[in-house]
Amino acid sequence: MSTAVAIHEQAHVPQPKQISNPGGFLRRTNFLTALVSGVVTAAIFWFATDKITSAVTGPGATNNMSLPSGLNISITMMYIGWVLGFMAGIGAFAGPIRWFLGHDLTHADAEYMAGKDMGREKFWKFTTDHKVVGIQYLVVTLILFGFGGLLAMLIRTELGATWTEVFNPNFYNSIIGTHGIVMIIAMIIVISGPIGNFIVPIMCGARDMAFPRLNALSIWLLIAAIPPLVSNLLMGGIRDGWTVYQPLADQAPIGMIGYQVCIITFAFSTGIASVNLITTIVRMRAAGMTWSRTPILVYGILGSAIMGLVWFPMYQYSQILALSDRTLLTSFFVPASGGSVWLYENLFWLLGHPEVYVIVIPATAGVLEYLPVFVRKPLFSYKLAVAGIFGVVGLSAVVWVHHMYMTGWAPQSNYPFMMSTEMISIPFSFLVLVMLGTMWRGMPWKRLPMMAVYAVVWNKVIGGITGVYLSDTPVDQYMHGSMFVVAHFHYMLMGAGLFGAMGVISYFFPKMIGRYLDEFWGSVGFWTAFAGFQVTFMSMFVAGLQGMPRRVLQFDSLFNISNWISTIGAYVIGIGMLIFLYAIVDSWRNGIIAPDNPWGGKTLENFTSTPVPHENFPVLPVVTSGPYDFGTPDPYELADDAIMRKTEGAEKVSARS
Amino acid sequence: MSDSTATEIGRTLSSTTGEMVEVTGSRDKLGVWMIIVSCTTGTIALLVSYAYLWSLNVNSAWAPTSGSANWAPVWPFWVIFTAMFIATLIMWNGYRGLCSGKVAAMKSAALLSSLLLLGAFVAQIFQIARFPFGPADGAYASATLWLAIANGIWLFLAVFLAMAIFNRTRAGRVTPENPNHARLVAMFLTYLCVAAFLGSVFTTVMQDSPNTQSPPFGTFSQ
Repeated sequence: MSTAVAIHEQAHVPQPKQISNPGGFLRRTNFLTALVSGVVTAAIFWFATDKITSAVTGPGATNNMSLPSGLNISITMMYIGWVLGFMAGIGAFAGPIRWFLGHDLTHADAEYMAGKDMGREKFWKFTTDHKVVGIQYLVVTLILFGFGGLLAMLIRTELGATWTEVFNPNFYNSIIGTHGIVMIIAMIIVISGPIGNFIVPIMCGARDMAFPRLNALSIWLLIAAIPPLVSNLLMGGIRDGWTVYQPLADQAPIGMIGYQVCIITFAFSTGIASVNLITTIVRMRAAGMTWSRTPILVYGILGSAIMGLVWFPMYQYSQILALSDRTLLTSFFVPASGGSVWLYENLFWLLGHPEVYVIVIPATAGVLEYLPVFVRKPLFSYKLAVAGIFGVVGLSAVVWVHHMYMTGWAPQSNYPFMMSTEMISIPFSFLVLVMLGTMWRGMPWKRLPMMAVYAVVWNKVIGGITGVYLSDTPVDQYMHGSMFVVAHFHYMLMGAGLFGAMGVISYFFPKMIGRYLDEFWGSVGFWTAFAGFQVTFMSMFVAGLQGMPRRVLQFDSLFNISNWISTIGAYVIGIGMLIFLYAIVDSWRNGIIAPDNPWGGKTLENFTSTPVPHENFPVLPVVTSGPYDFGTPDPYELADDAIMRKTEGAEKVSARS
Repeated sequence: MSDSTATEIGRTLSSTTGEMVEVTGSRDKLGVWMIIVSCTTGTIALLVSYAYLWSLNVNSAWAPTSGSANWAPVWPFWVIFTAMFIATLIMWNGYRGLCSGKVAAMKSAALLSSLLLLGAFVAQIFQIARFPFGPADGAYASATLWLAIANGIWLFLAVFLAMAIFNRTRAGRVTPENPNHARLVAMFLTYLCVAAFLGSVFTTVMQDSPNTQSPPFGTFSQ
C-alpha cells in the first residue's frame, strides 16, 4: 500500500495537574500483586460467605438436585472474590476511580501506562500499549493450547487403550469437557487476540487501539478467568462436555461453578475486546483508507468482533442463570419447578454456533491477507471476499437450531433451519473460491505461511462438506452424537481455524517479534501436525460412520482399529505441535532478524520499522492505493510500451507508403 | 474514554492523546453504542427467558402458588422505571444546557439525576427484599427476580456514572467545549430506561400463563 506522509502538527496541550508520579497507583501493581490480592480476596469471600450461609440457611439446606446450597454459594463467592481481587491487584479499577473523581490522565500518565521505556516489566503490568497486549494474548493462547492439547492426548490415550480403562469415567468426562472449553477459548482468541491487537491498529494506520485501558482490561479479565476453569478438575470436574447441558450441569459437582464463572468473566473480556476492535476499525483507519482499500484481515476481525459482541451475552446469561439455579435455587432450567432445558439449549447455541465463525472467519481472512503477498497477485475478487465474510456474519444469526434437531424442540422449525444452515455454506465457499482464484496460475513462494494456505483449503473443504451433510435433518438423525460430528467440527475448528492461525502467526511473527519464524523447524512441525491430523480425524469419520457415539469411555470392539489409528495420529499431532512450539520459542530468541517489510507486503504495517516503535508511525500515514496492488504494470513501462507501439505503427505505415 | 482537555486556539484537545475532543468523542460515542448493543442482547436473553417460561408453563410451575407465595405487585416496577425516566430526562436537559454554555445547569442536573437514580436503586433493593415469593417458588419467581436483580445492577452503575458526571463537571472536566462524557452517560441512561420499561411491561402483562394444560415433563433427577 503506497503511502504519503502527513505532517502532524504537534500542538502543545496544557495538562491537568499531575497528582503523583506518572502512573500513580499502577506503579505499585503487577501480576504478583494481582495474584496475592486475588487469593486473599477469594479467601475472605469464602470465609465470610460460609459463615453467613451457615447462619442463614443452616448446614442441611440443599439445592434442586440435593447439592448443599451453602457450599455452592461459598464456592461461587470465592471465585467472584478471586476475579475482583485479581483485577483490583493488577490495577484495573484505578482508571474508573480516577475518572469518577475527575482526575484525568496526563500525557505522562498515559505514557507510563503504555509501558514506554519500561523494558520487560511492562508485560507483567496493566499495560495499555496494544503491542504489549498482543504479545500477552499470544503467550496466553500458547499456554491454553498447550494445556488443551495435553488433555487431548489423555483423551486419545484412554480411547486408544481399548484393552483397559486408564482413567476413572468421571475424570475422563471431566477431561473431555475441560479440553473442549479450553480449546474453544483458545481458538476464539488465537487471531483476534494477538493479531487483532498487535497488527490491526498498525494495519489501519492508528497509533493505538481506540480504548487502550479497555484493551488491557480485556486481556487481564481473560487471565483472571482461567484459574476458575482449570480448578474444576480438582473439584469434581465438568462431566457434561463443553456444552454443559441442563439439567446435567445442575447435578454436577462444584467444579461446574468454575466453568460458569470462567465463561461469565470471559464474556466480559470478549465483549470489551469486541467494542475496542470495532471502534478502532470503524473510526481510526488512516486517511485515504476507504472501505474498498481496507485489508481483508481487518474485515475478518471486524466480522468476528461483531458476532462476538452480539451473541456472547446470550452464552453469558445462560451461565448466569444456570449459576443462579445452583446457588439461589431459581428454576430457569429445572423442569420440576417450571424451568426448561430447551431454554438453556437455545440460549447456549445462539452463541454456540456463531462461535464457530468467530473462530474460523479471522483465520480465513488472515490467510487471504497474506496469500496475495506470496503469489504476488492481487486478491482475486476482493468484493466477493468481503461479501463472503458479511454473508457468514448475517446468516450466523439463524443457524443455531440445527444443534437441536434431535431434542424434540419445535420440530417444525427443523427444515427452515436446515435451509439456513446449508445456505451459510455459500458465503463460506466464496472465501474458498477467493483463495483458489488468487492462487490460480500464480507462482507462489514456497514459504511456511503459504503452506498453511493449502492445508486450510483442504481441511475447510472437508469440514465444510461434512457440515452440509450434518445440517441435513434426515442425515443428522443418524449422525447426531457420533464421532462423525467430532471429526467434522475438528476439521473446521482445528483444520481451518488452527492451521490457518499457524500460517497467520508465522506470517506476522517477524513483525511482532522482530525475527523470522524458523522456516525449517516450523515447516517440519506444521506438516507433521497436518499429517497426524488427517490420520486422526479421517479415522474418526470412519468410526462415526460405523456408529460409534461420542463422549463414551467404553465401546464395542468393532471400533477398536479406527480408535487405535486415531490415537496414533493424535500423538503425531502432539509431536508436530511440540516441534512448532520449539520453532516459535527458538525463533523468538535466535531467529533471523527481520527487515521492516519482512515479506514485501503492501499493507501499512510494512511501512513502519521492525520492531514497531512505541507510537507505531513517526507520522500518521495516508493511504493512496489498495492493499493488494501486486502485478500492477509499472506506469512508466506502460508509457514506454505505448511509445514503442506508436513508433512501430508509424514505421509500418511509412514502410507501406 | 479519552480524557479532557485544554483549549488552544479555539480547539479543545485531549490531554491524554493530544487529539481534538471531537475525534475522541466520536470514538467514545461509537464505543458506547457498541456497549449498548451488547447489553441489549443480554436484556433480550432475560426477556426471552421470561416469555419462554411463561408460555410453556412447564409442569404447571410457572405461577408462584406454593404456600404464601404470590404474584409481585406491579406498581414498584413502574415507580422505579418512572424515577429512571425522569433522571434520564434531567440528564439530557443538563447536557443541552451545557452545550449552550450553562455549566451550572449540568452540575445541578447531574446531582439531581444521581439522587433520583440512587432513590431508584434503594427502591429496587426494597422491592427485591419484599417480593411475595422466594427464588425457589417457580419459574415466574425466578424470571421476575432476575429482571429486578439486573435492573438493580444497572442502577448501581447508573448512580456511579451520574455522580461521576457531577464530580467531573465540578472539576471542570465536563465543559461546554467538551460535553462528550455527559452525552455518553445520558445515552446509556436512555438504554437503561428502555430495558427497565420492557421489564415492567413483561412483568405487568405476562402473569398468568396462557398454557393452562401444560404436559408434565420429566424431572430428570438423578
